[in-house]
Amino acid sequence: MSPYVRYLAKRLGQFVLVVFVGITITFFVTHATPIDPVETTLSSAAAFGSTSPEAIAMLRQSLQELYGTGGSLYEQYLTFWGRILRGDFGPSLSAFPTPVATLIARALPWTIGLLVTATLLAWAGGNILGGLAGYYRDNRLLKAVGVISMGLHPIPYYIVAFVLLILFGYVFPILPLSGGYQMNLSAGLNATFILSVLKHSALPALSLILVGVGSWFMGMRALVSNIVTEDYVTYAELAGVDRNRILYAYVMRNAMSTQLTGLAMSLGAIFNGAIITEVVFGYPGIGSLLIDAVHAGDYSLVLGITTVSIIAVAAAVLLIDLLYPLLDPRVRVD
Amino acid sequence: MIGRTVLAAALTAGLLCSSALGQGLISEVPREQTLIVENPEGTIKNAGWFNYWSVNAGGRSTGLQQLALDTLWYIDPDQGLDGAWDNSLAAEPPIYNDDFTEMTVKLRDGIYWSDGTPFSADDVVYTVETHMKTDGLYWSAPIQVNVASVSAPDPHTVHFQLKEPNSRFHVLFTVRWNAMWIMPKHVFEQAGDPLKFDFNPPVSLGPYVLENYDPNGKWFIWKKRDDWQRTTLARFGEPGPTYVAYTDPGPPDKRVIAQLNHELDIIHDVAPEGMFTLARQSETSKGWFDGFPYAHPDPTLPAVIFNHQDPLFQDRDVRWALALLIDIKAVSMASYRGAATISAIAVPPTGTHPGDYHEPMEEWLENFEIDTGVKTLKPYDPTISQQIADMLRPSMGDDQVPSDPEIIRSSFGLGWWQPDPEAAAQLLERAGFTKSGSQWMTPDGQPFRIRITVEGEARPVMTRAGSMIAQQWRQFGIDAATEVAEGTLVTRRNTGDFQVIMSWSVETFGGHPDLAFFLDSWHSEFIAKRGQPQPPRNWQRWSHPELDRIIEAIRGVGFDDPQALELGRDYVKLMVEEMPIIPLMSYNVFTVMDETYWTGYPSAKNPYTNPVPNWANTKYMFVKLRPTKGDQRAETAQ
Repeated sequence: MSPYVRYLAKRLGQFVLVVFVGITITFFVTHATPIDPVETTLSSAAAFGSTSPEAIAMLRQSLQELYGTGGSLYEQYLTFWGRILRGDFGPSLSAFPTPVATLIARALPWTIGLLVTATLLAWAGGNILGGLAGYYRDNRLLKAVGVISMGLHPIPYYIVAFVLLILFGYVFPILPLSGGYQMNLSAGLNATFILSVLKHSALPALSLILVGVGSWFMGMRALVSNIVTEDYVTYAELAGVDRNRILYAYVMRNAMSTQLTGLAMSLGAIFNGAIITEVVFGYPGIGSLLIDAVHAGDYSLVLGITTVSIIAVAAAVLLIDLLYPLLDPRVRVD
Repeated sequence: MIGRTVLAAALTAGLLCSSALGQGLISEVPREQTLIVENPEGTIKNAGWFNYWSVNAGGRSTGLQQLALDTLWYIDPDQGLDGAWDNSLAAEPPIYNDDFTEMTVKLRDGIYWSDGTPFSADDVVYTVETHMKTDGLYWSAPIQVNVASVSAPDPHTVHFQLKEPNSRFHVLFTVRWNAMWIMPKHVFEQAGDPLKFDFNPPVSLGPYVLENYDPNGKWFIWKKRDDWQRTTLARFGEPGPTYVAYTDPGPPDKRVIAQLNHELDIIHDVAPEGMFTLARQSETSKGWFDGFPYAHPDPTLPAVIFNHQDPLFQDRDVRWALALLIDIKAVSMASYRGAATISAIAVPPTGTHPGDYHEPMEEWLENFEIDTGVKTLKPYDPTISQQIADMLRPSMGDDQVPSDPEIIRSSFGLGWWQPDPEAAAQLLERAGFTKSGSQWMTPDGQPFRIRITVEGEARPVMTRAGSMIAQQWRQFGIDAATEVAEGTLVTRRNTGDFQVIMSWSVETFGGHPDLAFFLDSWHSEFIAKRGQPQPPRNWQRWSHPELDRIIEAIRGVGFDDPQALELGRDYVKLMVEEMPIIPLMSYNVFTVMDETYWTGYPSAKNPYTNPVPNWANTKYMFVKLRPTKGDQRAETAQ
């Protein structure tokens, strides 16, 4: 067996273990919540009407049967794994009887669309600017970019988001305050709908990019600042190699492996959703779905979202681990 | 070549930007014919589900219950268009036999579903029978507990045979916030399992039909029916808005911005600070009151609720001592920034209740005495609301805070208990408590420790009230503090996992004096054991022989019987004497209405209905709303 195949088998084993342990922990943590979905539903059902105590007792029993919350924790755990292996997360308890998978499938494209675009743009912008700033350390413009990034970075994200919202939603009201697209518009692959989605995602994307660029910028600048002191860079400069070629082919390429790992982790974490972004901008997606599920004690939905997230993050890390030996000759698997 | 490419790309981008920025708030619907309303349910996870009868299945106040569903009767929490009671699908009030084991309902003629099918008694019978044979529907349990059989002797008469006498059975079909809605038989009988049917698109019995909705649950748009005259609301005229959009505008700050941008006609609720901002910055934004306290008082009574299964609160002297340590003026300022409508008695000071309870009982309250064993005091102070108004006037200005004593009493409430720490100390000492240094000790020698459970950021007004009360008790020498329960509050309240909780166990119709809506569930037979879930609404788990007598007496008299009001007053007196909960104020909702596009909203001066837009009875508002810039449909027709 070749060293790479052994490495592959070991990493796949780790992947399965991480997913199993992660999902198991999530199962028991969510079931330890003091929020009882049946009581929450009962309160909601009885809150606005006059319902006699006998009727409440009867409804409680019906709901426990419908939701499948009557069995022991161990029985529920086994049922849960049976469902997971069939790709079924069961029905949502707070949107009963809609399957959890349907709710996730409806929310996920919005989250992926917004976060993949914003993450890639921030990653590309931050790395290019950070690489340039690390290499051309005397450039005033790049120094200014550095100062702005350093200034933006420590500001809590929700403040940046809210400032943008007030600026472009109220002071200069040119962008919408919330939603994924214009009211009364039907979703479809047409210019009106696509433009509407772009318009509604502009503010949330801008907020993510502004904060994200600074982080990638500083990381890349620090990496490049170290690499430029390496002997091979000095040698290339003494040999008269074009400076841009040195920067892109030698310096940034060597710095990219770290940044690629970060990118993979960020893309994997996209499945967690951007909770603050979605709440502040009223943007549809998996983050606000998760928050809603937590508040409602809907552990079917919480488990569904968390399982997808665990698998996505673990898969992203696995992919990077598998690609590293192929991309970077310095990484050895034997 | 490169320059041309860049120029072409820039022009395309510019064109796209201008096209995108040019898109309005709503596509293909005239803004001036559309009322935009906040749905406080937020984003609906299961937006395509309109089967209201299936528990938890979809949104309820998305316009569905306000515009498309209907039932037999409505009680308005305010005055109503033609009195608070309205016979909606029913042609007259319920007819009971002498022992309340049968109820007969006469239905209106000429009412049609939006698909053209006539509404009839068969729909009512089908709705009830479906709930009798299906477990897990929203109203399955109360129907199965009460109904022996239901029949339709003719197309406009429904007859219920009840299992036990129940003089309040009709309340199940009487809207306060909602009620048991009538199903379209011709749709549901074709649909199979009613638990798994999405009812999309909904066939409407109200004056609007669903026009469009966002599958992500952010908005729902309804259009006025062409045959709106064939609905029950038509008795009061034509609904003004052609379109109504219910949306999720997001957190309170964004609701304020949206209304300042005139993109949200009705805000359901904001924090007091948001209301004050709108009052200052937007001439077109109106609250229920013209000035302080702006908010609409809901027929719900936030209170300090003791857990009577905790030995600390089983002595009336202790409960009264804690009440006499509360300065309601400070609680009003902390919770609602002064915009509270206070109540000393356990009935919300809203709708017709002040006339039925607060004002007639004020003399009794003024004469009510407490004997501490050392001294006798009359704790009721009828001038408290006046004092709150006087406190607010310097900072808010004369134009915002009323000076007419009658307006102050109707908006800020009447009196409350005067703080009396000396009497509180005497009551605690009589209950066996002692003071060690600055700390009060319980009769068994432990520090007197109270934890007040509050909900946290989800309900800031109640949380701030709880914090202020904890501070006042702490200043007296009690180890008091708040505990933030967040999302666990409901489970903790229901299972009795609290000492003291900021919540409400009193909810009334507002527009009718009958108290059975909440009071029947307070009977001692329903009190759960410690740790077991308590059925709504006796969260305090308090029982008293006199209370049981009152409840049983109410069960034996009719809904509109004057004796019910007298029994209600007996309940109020018992609650004052025993103080099982400390009533604070009504639940004030800062509903803000923007008059840029629409006028005719209800207000304290014209209280024809409740403005809080998630209540089903807000359907009555639509016939009074008219476009601010004139009725363009009428102009076009001319």
